[in-house]
Amino acid sequence: MKNMKKFLALAMAACMTVGMAACGGNNTADTTGNTTGTNTNANTDTADEAGDAQEQESGGATEITLWTFPVGDWGGAYVDEVIAAFNESYPDVSVNVEYLDYTSGDDQLTAAIEAGTAPDILLAEPQRLVKFGKNGRMVALDDMFTDELKTDVGNESIIAACSDGTNYWMYPLSITAHFMAINYEAWESSGALEYVNQEGDRTWTTEDFQNALAKLKEAGLTSGVVYCGGQGGDQGTRALVTNLYSADFTNAEHTEWTINSENGIQGLTLLKDLCDQGLLSYDAGIQASDELQLFSNGTVQMSFCWNAANAKNYASSVTFTPYALPFPSDDGVPVLESGLYGFGIFDNGDAAKQQAARDFITFVCDDAEWGPKSVEATGFFPVRGSFEVYADSDDPNMEFYNAMLAYVGDNFTAMDGFTEQRAEWWTMLQYVFTGEKSVQEAADTYVSNSNAYTASYSE
Amino acid sequence: METQVKKTTAYDVVALIVLIVLAFLFIFPLYWIVTGSFKDAIAINSATPQWFPLEPTMDNFVRLFDRPALRWLLNTVIMAVAAMVLTCITASMAGYVLAKKRFFGQKILFSLFVCAMALPKQVILIPLLKEMSFLGLHDTLWAVILPTVGWPFGVFLMKQFSEGIPTELLEAVRIDGAGEIKTFTQIVLPIIKPGIGALAIFTFINSWNDYFLQLIMLNSQEVLTISLGIAKLQTEMSNDFGLIMAGAALGSIPIIVIFLMFQKYFTQGITMGAVKG
Amino acid sequence: MAKNAAPARSHVLARRETFVSYMFLLPCLVFFVGFVIVPMFMCLFTSFFDYTMTDFNFIGFQNYVEIFQDETFLIALRNTVLIVVVSVPTVCIFSLWVASAIYNRKGAVTSFFRCVFYLPVVTGTVAVTVVWKWMFNQYYGLFNYVLSSTNVIDQNISWLGDKRFAIWCIIMILFTTSIGQPIVLYVSALGNVDTSLVEAAEVDGATSFQCFWKIKWPNIMPTTLYILVITTINSFQCFALIQLLTSGGPMNSTNTIMYYIYDTAFKTNQYGYANAMGIILAIIIAVFSALQFKVTGSSKKD
Repeated sequence: MKNMKKFLALAMAACMTVGMAACGGNNTADTTGNTTGTNTNANTDTADEAGDAQEQESGGATEITLWTFPVGDWGGAYVDEVIAAFNESYPDVSVNVEYLDYTSGDDQLTAAIEAGTAPDILLAEPQRLVKFGKNGRMVALDDMFTDELKTDVGNESIIAACSDGTNYWMYPLSITAHFMAINYEAWESSGALEYVNQEGDRTWTTEDFQNALAKLKEAGLTSGVVYCGGQGGDQGTRALVTNLYSADFTNAEHTEWTINSENGIQGLTLLKDLCDQGLLSYDAGIQASDELQLFSNGTVQMSFCWNAANAKNYASSVTFTPYALPFPSDDGVPVLESGLYGFGIFDNGDAAKQQAARDFITFVCDDAEWGPKSVEATGFFPVRGSFEVYADSDDPNMEFYNAMLAYVGDNFTAMDGFTEQRAEWWTMLQYVFTGEKSVQEAADTYVSNSNAYTASYSE
Repeated sequence: METQVKKTTAYDVVALIVLIVLAFLFIFPLYWIVTGSFKDAIAINSATPQWFPLEPTMDNFVRLFDRPALRWLLNTVIMAVAAMVLTCITASMAGYVLAKKRFFGQKILFSLFVCAMALPKQVILIPLLKEMSFLGLHDTLWAVILPTVGWPFGVFLMKQFSEGIPTELLEAVRIDGAGEIKTFTQIVLPIIKPGIGALAIFTFINSWNDYFLQLIMLNSQEVLTISLGIAKLQTEMSNDFGLIMAGAALGSIPIIVIFLMFQKYFTQGITMGAVKG
Repeated sequence: MAKNAAPARSHVLARRETFVSYMFLLPCLVFFVGFVIVPMFMCLFTSFFDYTMTDFNFIGFQNYVEIFQDETFLIALRNTVLIVVVSVPTVCIFSLWVASAIYNRKGAVTSFFRCVFYLPVVTGTVAVTVVWKWMFNQYYGLFNYVLSSTNVIDQNISWLGDKRFAIWCIIMILFTTSIGQPIVLYVSALGNVDTSLVEAAEVDGATSFQCFWKIKWPNIMPTTLYILVITTINSFQCFALIQLLTSGGPMNSTNTIMYYIYDTAFKTNQYGYANAMGIILAIIIAVFSALQFKVTGSSKKD
């Protein structure tokens, strides 16, 4: 019985300690959340790490939160640096950073938005930022799109991608083209390299691609794998399919998905045939990240999900030379997809925070010193023509990566129903490759489902 | 069969072999996590499995601790312990009266508990999210703790245990003039102690593993739990398996140690609960 | 459940007991009502709305009508039922076999196996899942490595990417993570069976199967029912595995209602629709539980 008392006492004590500990860590957030009606992830503990931030908090500082999706190398050390630099000019703003991942990042964002704990700033692609903007969750950034910016960017499609046609929801920072890469040594030894154009922009044709695959098969190598496992990396598979016979992914008005066009079907059919002949393989069990891993450990000889940042990331773990190439196309002129990254501001109803967020974005994107550095941190290229980056880079591929931007086509990622369409896309690939449905049937199902999603937005 | 003199049959031998093979399969994931956490990027990505880290490295752990991994671990402990303690207190009190008292609405209440027991949290997720937001608790550990305590499995378990309390004993104490609180703390609690132990461990492990609720309720680095932290180490463009394994090892070793320490208590407790049912 | 209470009591005493009982229940009810019942009602309420990130319009039973025309929902329902129907009996039978194979061995041996089978439970779903994902990998996973080096298969299999295998992989992992507790329970339950009864039966020439069926089985019946309950709960709640391994694919072959609800709510933001599916699932589960407890109740009276 005595033991029991002790147990109870202990339990109570533990309960209280835990209660206090848990509250202690968070009551800042609770009170701000309740009194001001806005929500921050203010947490006193971060103050310990950023020494100077501590003083500011006592002086009624503005706290803003930045969430970022993985954008190339952007993260960790650089973000801390840029925040510190920002604080030199804006000492009374403190910035908290959280990193999202692509597997559950969207879910967490949705949860946070519904729970009213959305961040102040989000670094992401147009598909997310413009969608939230259209849903009325973001602050329009129209005033930030000055003529100076538009002239400096000098690219209509980049500017257009930041808006839903009415308002601007995203302030662009950097851009990349998505292309593919091959294992140079393996291609060389198998003889497949003779079909690769190593001159100029390295463009090549669908026929070259098929010939190269045959060589790889002769040499007993697994050429490449079309990953159909879902969650990100969709741009790679999309560009592969559309380029083979120059198909359009959407109509020009961005109201319909059009992969079931004749050219689209031709592309899908060719891929399916290649898989059936064992020249290429597909796997519904892996995602883009898995494919990159297969490429980097030499299991497969090409990756459909390559870009400048990946080249940098994988440089240390590959034992071969990854050689970047545009996607092969029937006419030898690739149309590449771009990855456009920038910031959006959530409407948390606090003018001071919104102003601080604007200041932060302007600093990160446009500061003469830190703007180019931020771009460099993403591993991609500046949207602003006046920025000079990678000037001292000794990577011979940099020029190629940059040249690829000229082939970037229409950006449809901010189109209504883009997110929903993505799930349908993976399912379609799975149906096509398993032969469960005919190519035409699978593509038609994909198009009709996706169009229904898109149409439901304008209802 | 129950005495040691029983001779070994062929079946026993075969069974033992099957068990050993299975045991290997069950141990393997843990083995792979622990060894993987000491492998470098090349070894862990190698196309032919490297059964043992040939060149062990601490690099993964170094990089893991660049992140607030210990904070994640601490958060997980705080969360699991708070859920455990609150569940044990509320469930033992409720289970006792459900088993030993007779009151208005008892049957309905118990049926409600039972029906809600199997209800996955996904079902009430959006409302729960709104509720936590209303209470200003989203993105705090409470958002994970409170729904865990609300889950009525503990009540069910403790009711089963409390059935075993001799009614005569309660009667006798009552005649002696002991109050309800005294009866509960001095008579009931000692009897259901093993049950509380079982429930404690059960709740602890459950909330430790409840990836789902944590995923939705927690965002900030400061409140992340270890499972969430590990899941977040996977990104779109690269899988840093060494790092993930280090995180997984960090997340699982403490709980395995706890389990091994309390193993006896646990098995006793949980069995009693079931048999009494 | 009230069989132990005193047969005749005064009105006042009954009222007092009710009051006391509710005082004891209060802390529990605060949590239960606050975080299960209230959200459940909110869920029911919003299921009649076209509820998304931007809209909130009353549409009556529209969501429910749509659900039963939703092909994906029906596939998900089928998969959920498949997982429950396959994994519950398998876990019960297999754990009983393991338990009967280890319960009468030397203490250390029993203890060792008990721990081993419990390991995946305590290792943590996320951690275990990462390893399983690697084991199932088409190109360098353990399974293909073992099977192809022993010439069982001549071509690597994409375990998680093949419609025929994916759900079985999920069931298998679920199996390894849910078998630990039943084994622990059965080992103790079998150890508690009165040995003299078994010995007497053996003397009378009963086969070991008869011994098991006539003597041990009735004795471990309560344990079995309890295991049925917890395994069912576990199987219904299988989520992290699917989210981390297959995202419901390929071709929805591993999509379960839980995952579909989650996907609908968090990927396409159709909250009303997701809540309506939740209500249907809750009804299914309530019926399931009621059935199980009906069986438990009737067996108790024996």
